[in-house]
Amino acid sequence: MSFNPRYHHTATQLHDEQLIIEAAKLNPERFGPLYDKYYKQIFGYVYQRMEDKDSAFDITSQVFLKALTNINRYEYKGVPFASWLFRIAHSEVMQLFRDQKNKRAINADVGDLKNIYEEVQEPFFEEYLPALQQMIKQLPEDDLQMIELRFFEHRPFKEIAEILNITENNAKVRMYRILERLKKTITNFKI
Amino acid sequence: MEPKFNLNRPKISDEEINKNKDFDNLVKQFKEQSIQRARSDVSFFKNKKATYAAVIAGIAVVCTVTYLTVSNRSNKQTATNEKTNTLTENKKPGTRKTFISPPSQKLNVPYNSYKVNNAKGGELAHHTSTKLKIPKNAFVNKAGEQIVGDVEIQYREFHDQADIIASGIPMRYDSAGTSYTFESAGMFDVKGFQNGEEVFISPAAPITIEFASEYPTDTYNQYYLDTAAQKWNVIKHDTPSAYKNANDRPPNVLPQAQKSITEKNIEKKIEYIPKKIDSVKTVYDKKIVALPSPQQPGKPTKPTGRPQINLDVDFKDFPELVAFKNVLFEVGNENKNYSKEISQTTWNSAIISAGPQKGKNYILTLKNRTREEKFVVYPVLTGECYETAAKVYEKKFNEYNTLLDKRAADGQKLKDEMAAKQKAYVEEQKKLSAELLKEQIRVQRDMEAQYANQNKNAGVQNKVLRVFQVSNFGIYNSDCPRSMPKGPVIQPDYYSSTSVPLDPTIVYLVDMGSNIVYNMSNNSYSFMYDTRKKYSLCIVAGGSLYVCNNEQFNSTVKQNSRKFIFKSVDAENIADFKKALEI
Repeated sequence: MSFNPRYHHTATQLHDEQLIIEAAKLNPERFGPLYDKYYKQIFGYVYQRMEDKDSAFDITSQVFLKALTNINRYEYKGVPFASWLFRIAHSEVMQLFRDQKNKRAINADVGDLKNIYEEVQEPFFEEYLPALQQMIKQLPEDDLQMIELRFFEHRPFKEIAEILNITENNAKVRMYRILERLKKTITNFKI
Repeated sequence: MEPKFNLNRPKISDEEINKNKDFDNLVKQFKEQSIQRARSDVSFFKNKKATYAAVIAGIAVVCTVTYLTVSNRSNKQTATNEKTNTLTENKKPGTRKTFISPPSQKLNVPYNSYKVNNAKGGELAHHTSTKLKIPKNAFVNKAGEQIVGDVEIQYREFHDQADIIASGIPMRYDSAGTSYTFESAGMFDVKGFQNGEEVFISPAAPITIEFASEYPTDTYNQYYLDTAAQKWNVIKHDTPSAYKNANDRPPNVLPQAQKSITEKNIEKKIEYIPKKIDSVKTVYDKKIVALPSPQQPGKPTKPTGRPQINLDVDFKDFPELVAFKNVLFEVGNENKNYSKEISQTTWNSAIISAGPQKGKNYILTLKNRTREEKFVVYPVLTGECYETAAKVYEKKFNEYNTLLDKRAADGQKLKDEMAAKQKAYVEEQKKLSAELLKEQIRVQRDMEAQYANQNKNAGVQNKVLRVFQVSNFGIYNSDCPRSMPKGPVIQPDYYSSTSVPLDPTIVYLVDMGSNIVYNMSNNSYSFMYDTRKKYSLCIVAGGSLYVCNNEQFNSTVKQNSRKFIFKSVDAENIADFKKALEI
């Protein structure tokens, strides 16, 4: 399942979306198209970070309820509405993990972990998986968030920057630093 | 707390995601929330009555919680004082995982694995004469959907005291506030999987297990171990039935040994070695390719008398010509299109680019508004310029040769390193293969020993059938609850055969005459025994098993000694453990 099929928008799409948002500010029933459009993406984002499917559905509902409640405060900043939803989702899941740490999970495919090795230009063997998993589990939450967005959800830097409300360059620098740290640890268990 | 890491978690279908979408409910929630918010705008706490009510309610809650906490503590204290060991004590936080805790994985009773097609069902014959009768469509997945294809059934049995100890299954049973220990007529543990995923028994099609029990009396009940609630649940009275005739018993076939964890680990390591060898090659090939490659300097040549052209060349593009001061370009013999007329024509641009013989010749492209001509040209030098360039060339050519030699030497060094690494992996592979063979032989011997032991029991005992209707996978038992032994008190000190004091974490009092294992771990310093019974003691200390056999036990209690001597159990499998326990 691809969690991010249509993040990027053309100028026309952004304009159309803006019209729907303005309509939803006046009448919550008009929020439907946004709900339909982004439900899967937001669920994907939430479930990617969680162990429990049912809780992920609950949090997703909570995200949309918050979005609808606060839609009058939403200001268009030239990026898709999804980035605002992702920020609400991020805040909701972090709040949940503060209350219930056991809900936090990291979900990745072997191919994703292989990509990390490729990124740091180290040969990859499956037997390194447990050590790499352990390493990722011990990353600070902010670094883990970057790894998840970039490698496990395959998002481009521009999108990561919009979700985290930072500049694209800042996102690249952060990722570079994280990979530098990972590389140092990875070289300890290479051939 | 570290987060859990899931690798390759199954994806959720779009259908399931869409099923959970409910926009109408979202709008409903939003409207309710809006109404509540509007109501809460009327300040609740400005109402004095409400404030008092809240304070009183708060005090009441605090008092209730305090009372319950104190009451619970008091109850726990009472239970501790009575020194009763109940299953519910295992519910303490952090002990849930160790509810079923085998003292040694090596000695644990291994599972036998069977395959059954869910659509067809079938009858599985275990080598102890037990039959597993599986109706059609007996298995469902966690969503309650019928399983398609084969299901793997893992099954094992526990018949005697050694099996009970080795399994780590708790045999305590609480009834009406009294704690008992089970005397067992046999237990079994059955599980089902498909592709590593747990499957479940359909409520509409329970499976029947005709358990071959070695204990024929009619004094047992059937129980199911609820591992979540950590207690045994009684099912019904267990009435045994005899085999109609000896032919009913399935032929004894040596079951295929299951791979041990060690075996699997070694196989995995062996599997990785060719990949490692390949990867070493890839890494070193890249290193060899990346070695600096020297560029052969261009050899200066004298003019041959062909037409020459003086061009202003940017040597950045042609570093081999840097040493050629005042270089001229001579038109090559191969240019059949060259004529005098070319030199008399006015050209707007002259572009030089690499020629067919790199470093030796070049392509000169001449253009004007109407024409474009291309010629192969050769760099030539005259007079002093040639002499100087020849000297520079000689020096550079020597340097070039030195660098070539160095590159060859570095390349060879890397190749040698690669060969050494690959050789080390090949050696490791040989060593692991030898280890694997040794482990496979050990596992097969264990299985044969276990099989021989079970067959020996089957041959001498008069087996009966105990029929279980199994609607959940798990552990079932045909048991009779027995009270703790009554009689003289012993206060044992535990010593090894070399008189080293032992500090046991688990103490089993083994009734050798009945199939009962009392867990005395919580009052190991003092417990009673029945003088009419035959006992052995089995303990776990420092992660190892020790046995004080019946003879040693009797001799110690006769002497009124507290010093119980234990022999270390050096058992490789359950059969060895049985021998050590003298079963």
